[in-house]
Amino acid sequence: MQRSLIACFFRASLCAEGLVNEDVKRTLDLSSHLAKITAEIQLANHGASRVNGFTLALEAELAPHLAFIGVKGEEEEDESLELKETTVHGQSGKFFEAQLPSSLAPGAKLRVKVETVFSHVLKPFPTHITQAERQLVVFQGNHYLYSPYPTRSQTTRVRLASKTVESYTKLGNPTKSDETVEYGPFKDVPPFSQDAMKIHYENNTPFLSISSITRTVEVSHWGNIAVEETIDLRHTGAYLKGPFSRYDYQRQSDSGISSVKSFKTILPASAQDVYYRDEIGNISTSHLQVLDDSVEVEIRPRFPLFGGWKTHYIVGYNLPSYEYLYNLGDQYALKLRLVDHVYDDQVIDQLTVKLILPEGARNIHMDTPYPITRSQDELHYTYLDTFGRPVLVATKNNLVEQHIQDVVVHYTFNKILMLQEPLLVVGAFYILFFTVIIYVRLDFSITKDPAAEVRMKVASITEQVLTLVNKRLGLYRHMDEVVNRYKQTRDTGALNSGRKTLEAEHRTLSNDISALQARLKSEGSDLAEKVGEIQKLDNQLKDLVCRSCQEAERLVAGKVKKDTYIDSDKTLSGKRQELVSRIDSLLDAL
Amino acid sequence: QILAVGSKSWLRRNIGAEEGAGWWQEGCVAVGSALLTKFSRTWRSTTPPPTSLLSFTILFLAWLAGFSSRLFAVIRFESIIHEFDPWFNYRSTHHLSTNGFYEFLNWFDERAWYPLGRIVGGTVYPGLMVTAGLIHYILNLLHVTVHIRDVCVFLAPVFSGLTAVSTFLLTRELWNQGAGLLAACFIAIVPGYISRSVAGSFDNEGIAIFALQFTYYLWVKSVKTGSVFWTIGCCLSYFYMVSAWGGYVFIINLIPLHVFVLLLMQRFSRRLYIAYSTFYIVGLVLSMQIPFVGFQPIRTSEHMAAAGVFALLQAYAFLQYLKDRLTRQEFQTLFFLGVSLAAGVVFLTLTKPSLPPLLRYAKIHIPIIASVSEHQPTTWVSFFFDLHILVCTFPAGLWFCIKNINDERVFVALYAISAVYFAGVMVRLMLTLTPVVCMLSAIAFSSVFEHYLGDDMKRENPIKQHPFYPVKNSSVYSKLIVTMLMLMLLMMFAVHCTWVTSNAYSSPSVVLASYNHDGSRNILDDFREAYYWLRQNTDEHARVMSWWDYGYQIAGMANRTTLVDNNTWNNSHIALVGKAMSSNESAAYEIMKSLDVDYVLIIFGGVIGYSGDDINKFLWMVRIAEGEHPKDIRESDYFTPQGEFRVDKAGSPTLLNCLMYKMSYYRFGEMQLDFRTPPGFDRTRNAEIGNKDIRLKHLEEAFTSEHWLVRIYRVKKQENRQALDHKLHVGNNPILTKKAKQNKFRN
Repeated sequence: MQRSLIACFFRASLCAEGLVNEDVKRTLDLSSHLAKITAEIQLANHGASRVNGFTLALEAELAPHLAFIGVKGEEEEDESLELKETTVHGQSGKFFEAQLPSSLAPGAKLRVKVETVFSHVLKPFPTHITQAERQLVVFQGNHYLYSPYPTRSQTTRVRLASKTVESYTKLGNPTKSDETVEYGPFKDVPPFSQDAMKIHYENNTPFLSISSITRTVEVSHWGNIAVEETIDLRHTGAYLKGPFSRYDYQRQSDSGISSVKSFKTILPASAQDVYYRDEIGNISTSHLQVLDDSVEVEIRPRFPLFGGWKTHYIVGYNLPSYEYLYNLGDQYALKLRLVDHVYDDQVIDQLTVKLILPEGARNIHMDTPYPITRSQDELHYTYLDTFGRPVLVATKNNLVEQHIQDVVVHYTFNKILMLQEPLLVVGAFYILFFTVIIYVRLDFSITKDPAAEVRMKVASITEQVLTLVNKRLGLYRHMDEVVNRYKQTRDTGALNSGRKTLEAEHRTLSNDISALQARLKSEGSDLAEKVGEIQKLDNQLKDLVCRSCQEAERLVAGKVKKDTYIDSDKTLSGKRQELVSRIDSLLDAL
Repeated sequence: QILAVGSKSWLRRNIGAEEGAGWWQEGCVAVGSALLTKFSRTWRSTTPPPTSLLSFTILFLAWLAGFSSRLFAVIRFESIIHEFDPWFNYRSTHHLSTNGFYEFLNWFDERAWYPLGRIVGGTVYPGLMVTAGLIHYILNLLHVTVHIRDVCVFLAPVFSGLTAVSTFLLTRELWNQGAGLLAACFIAIVPGYISRSVAGSFDNEGIAIFALQFTYYLWVKSVKTGSVFWTIGCCLSYFYMVSAWGGYVFIINLIPLHVFVLLLMQRFSRRLYIAYSTFYIVGLVLSMQIPFVGFQPIRTSEHMAAAGVFALLQAYAFLQYLKDRLTRQEFQTLFFLGVSLAAGVVFLTLTKPSLPPLLRYAKIHIPIIASVSEHQPTTWVSFFFDLHILVCTFPAGLWFCIKNINDERVFVALYAISAVYFAGVMVRLMLTLTPVVCMLSAIAFSSVFEHYLGDDMKRENPIKQHPFYPVKNSSVYSKLIVTMLMLMLLMMFAVHCTWVTSNAYSSPSVVLASYNHDGSRNILDDFREAYYWLRQNTDEHARVMSWWDYGYQIAGMANRTTLVDNNTWNNSHIALVGKAMSSNESAAYEIMKSLDVDYVLIIFGGVIGYSGDDINKFLWMVRIAEGEHPKDIRESDYFTPQGEFRVDKAGSPTLLNCLMYKMSYYRFGEMQLDFRTPPGFDRTRNAEIGNKDIRLKHLEEAFTSEHWLVRIYRVKKQENRQALDHKLHVGNNPILTKKAKQNKFRN
């Protein structure tokens, strides 16, 4: 009595708008582990004034499980109406105020489609089953549309997961065929009417829910976006009672029918380097399939998930940033999904999103597709960071597939900062090499080692000796050329001048070497003797060179025959070869 | 030229490196070809090569080659911790890096040895964990955010490079630079060392061999120079070794032996006196700082030789001092007095000590030691398998050393002789032999190359010392042939090393792989499947009973409490578990009840033919149980009257009804693997099982992995009994818990 009074009172306040649900078609889709309730409502304005919006109501029992609600007008297929949560005085439940794009004139009609998704409303009953048993669930809801407006006519159609139905409420003599139960039509239902509907049926669809997911997105301006999702997964169906027999599971196809062996995760088409692992390493039971428009990962947990069992894993991949990162000068916009697909009909109990922006990003602004709780921003340090990357942290509870939408993050980033990390590396290497150079070149020893100094001095002197001796040997080769040319041109002048330069240069070089030899001797090195030996050999060599020169003169002058010349030349050059090789070996020994 | 040979040996190994990963091979070949161009350049130039840069390059490349040849397991599988003990080390390192050093030292692990627990901080050599933790800490300080697991996995390969460097230093001190570089190349790729230091084998030996070689280098250096600076360095390195591995007793016995032999050889010098006195005192004090070692260095017989030699050296030096001061007559009386005293001391030290390997050898008759395969005596095959050509050439190197003896070559000779003896006792100690074999072989090869590849003009002096090479100008052909032969040997060595590493030492053993006929690979991941199931779907404080082999893995991967593990310190507890496994179900249930067991985990290989399963280990369980409970368990009960151990119908009824048998074959009797064999055909033992109708009363199957490799049973709780209150235990979850906790167990 009281209730109807209140109802009347409210009808007074709400009916002032004069809205009436002319025709309602409700569809309850219970074929998965979610309850998806869609209502197609024909609203009529029977009042006197224009109406700008209308109110949607949810039952108090279902409201806490609401994951998603959306309203679409029929004219604007794509555009969904804006919803605002309100309260209605004296009525329990949850209420949303929908704004119409254009007001509804008196007498006009409007069709809207209200889509709601509820999670965790299908309760397994019995709550514990054995491996051989099938899973039965109970749904408790409302036969009528819960609405603040009177309803003229409505039908309710329930879609189930299987034909096996243990029981269902029989209001208005519903018809049941295969997997559907149809109620109604109900005529002239007053506002806020409720009548308990209860359906107990078999449902072996995977009752998976993600108890928590942490999605970390790390943006790099060097062309990569790394995404990593840490997922806690739980089978929320009926608990497994008693033993788990692998034999039955392998040999009988209907054993553990409600358990989950694997599922598919759809990643963006450009996803690369996908990994699937947990705390103890890579999970080897997975397959990756690259399709044209997506990358499909067949996620197979290490073990099949039975009721009450849980698992924990990490999926990560890389995306090229050009598909998700836009910029105009220093202004950047990152547009990617706030939450992505994990499995079909997914339920996420708790979502944490962490967006890691490049070091030095400022004026960060986040546009979310739906309200989401922002936590305190954090700083994240990774390779080559100095002052930390800003991290946007956001959380939200109870999400379903409809929440897979894009988030846009705007920020400013000075492009000069791109150089910071390479410069850091360059600087580090510079310092390293510089230290090595300093260490090698300078002497840091506290005590002096005279022997080592002498050794170094001797080494530098021998180095000089080497170059000088080699130069001197070069002189002889040059002289040979001069002699050869003389033999052809018979130009005595050239020969003489060549001989003169040889003499002069040879003298200076020999003097230099002798000076160095003296220095070696003063350092007390036994190499001095070897240098002396070289000098001796060199004197012989020079004699030979002079003799070959004279021989050539005599040949040109016709004093010797060609044959004898060739013979003597051969012996001379043989001797020279021997001397040169002896000098070389001495040089090597230096 | 000698260097070139060393490098060529690697070039070979680089090229033969890896079949599967193309980029890998490319990388290795690139390294090799870079090396080759480097050499051809130095070859052509007439000026002498800048040797320091060259040896730096060679050492760097040896490091690289050693590092990369240890990565087979990572490339084939993943970056994962291998086998058993590494899992414990990893778990402790994880504890260290999350909770800090002091918390680690005070760590009381109540997840092991239930209900006893284990004082981890006081029963481990912390060097490994501290090293990995420190590297992780420094990297994170520099914002190089690597996971601690990756630090642990790659620690041993990185340290193999350091081992190569310290081997180079030691060999250079003993012989020359060329031999040093060859030794570094050898040790970088020799299988005897790789077997313990592949990526993922996160074990004490991985860093201990570096510490061993470095300590020896510093010791040789200090004997050579007699400088306190080097000796203190040696002590610090020794301290690191003590903190890292129980094998430090090898050092503390070898160095005194060296000193003792030098005294006998009349090679006493002031340098030796300074080096050993400083080393003994400082090393002793430092080694006592490790909690696990504690007062052992002054108590146990293993350390007494060092003390005895210390006393002897003091006496000797004192006599030397008196010799200058006293008349001949006085000195003689004093000398006899002193000698008899010293002899007494030496006698006392030598009668008391039973050297560690001897001790271990005695332990071979204890079943729990004997049951470990790596404690078996070494076969000749494994010498060749692990060292290849080096095992044949190292006596030559030893001969060269003894031929041109000096203080430090006495050391290497003693090192070689003692290491050969130890390696003969136990397969595991092959590891201590490997470095010295590498050094001596390098010396042998280096000397040969010096004569057959070197310039004739130079180095007359060493040549004249060798009567082996009387021909000064050996003909070009003989040179060529010898060089070619040597090069061939080195190439074969490199190929062998790569092959052995790839085939024998690169299996994580946590993940198994099988190959199909078409070459495709199947991964059998049953161990991790079952461990992860335990981790996710059992109570956090559930107690898991299993044979001790799997204790560390259960603790590390499943993060559950175990009864016994690979740290086999309590024989009677292990025997109790063995008794439970070998009793019938109701007797076992009593034991399990008294031990609060919630789950029992066994390994069963009958489905896939895995031979390392629990039925094959079962006799050891029986033996160990019999050792403690001879009245209840008798080994003979498990054999047929003919003395056979068989699982089919002819098997002994005791075996066919014991808990292990029942758990292994539960419901296996129904399973038909293929059409040629009857149901219940065990592929590992090739027999149809004898008891197909197995019913369990107190246990129920909780989980069996995909290939039945791991089977877990739940112990049913008694009706109307309150479950044990788990709140009693304070959670100390090393892998999951990030925050540091106060230690509530002990100070």
